[in-house]
Amino acid sequence: MKFLKLLMRNLAKGPSTDPFPFGPTFTPKGLRGRISYDASLCTMCRACEQVCAGGAIRIDKTPEGMRLVVWQNTCVLCGLCQYYCPTGAIHHTDNWHMVHLEAEKFDQVEEGLIPYVACTGCGAKMVASYPNPKTLGFQPTQEDVEKLRLLCPSCRRKAIAAMGGKS
Amino acid sequence: MSLISRISARSPWLYRINAGSCNGCDVELATTACIPRYDVERLGCQYCGSPRHADIVLITGVMTARVKDKVLQLFEEIPDPKVTVAVGICPISGGVFRESYAVCGPLDKYIPVDVNVVGCPPRPQAILEGVAKAIEIWKQRL
Repeated sequence: MKFLKLLMRNLAKGPSTDPFPFGPTFTPKGLRGRISYDASLCTMCRACEQVCAGGAIRIDKTPEGMRLVVWQNTCVLCGLCQYYCPTGAIHHTDNWHMVHLEAEKFDQVEEGLIPYVACTGCGAKMVASYPNPKTLGFQPTQEDVEKLRLLCPSCRRKAIAAMGGKS
Repeated sequence: MSLISRISARSPWLYRINAGSCNGCDVELATTACIPRYDVERLGCQYCGSPRHADIVLITGVMTARVKDKVLQLFEEIPDPKVTVAVGICPISGGVFRESYAVCGPLDKYIPVDVNVVGCPPRPQAILEGVAKAIEIWKQRL
């Protein structure tokens, strides 16, 4: 009579097959899928390019600014870029629907442009970046940080010295 | 469309070639075939042991110098029309093994690939999605 109990239980449970190509499926929490990149958060520290195991991230100079390109087709979904990104600009989404036809092979790209800004001291073209508070030698205020962010390295050294820090 | 074409459109047979893969994608392929949770046979597919019976060929791995000739020979043995699916990022671009001296480079240098399944390794559901796409192409080719 044991098999009857088992039969009833399995009937109540329904099939264990995932209905996927014909129905919805589940996506586990934290699944690493397609890369997403947000240029507005990026500080161009290039840590992601350095650690990328598959060589999927490329950063190059263009006349308008620095351009970051991720080719999904060589990304090994290791998660190192999102681990090392200090601002969370690059991260994996849980989108795993990456099947594509051969003609779309080189369209599987995520890219972003960080435009150059002019240094407020000398007007040189550069990428704005926040100073590292640990190496400044003094406790910067929010105002100082904003001011240093928009200075090129040589102007920044002078400004830090004027503020009383280590240059 | 002849009767045979109509019938065979419903049941393409799969064949699996390992072109120097790390076995990650092969485990996922075995998962889609053997575990009832994913069950690729719902799509009418079945894995076959001989390239001469195959309709859809799933290729994993980077195409190493060692297996290149054997893979090309196997691929020639598969009767036309056939649909090629590259499983994992290795056959698509080379992945972490790209630019190695032992790797003959992306698969599409030698073999006309139709569908790319991205992932390292791809999820079983992603492989099912790729096989479903390959079946659509297979129906058009018949």
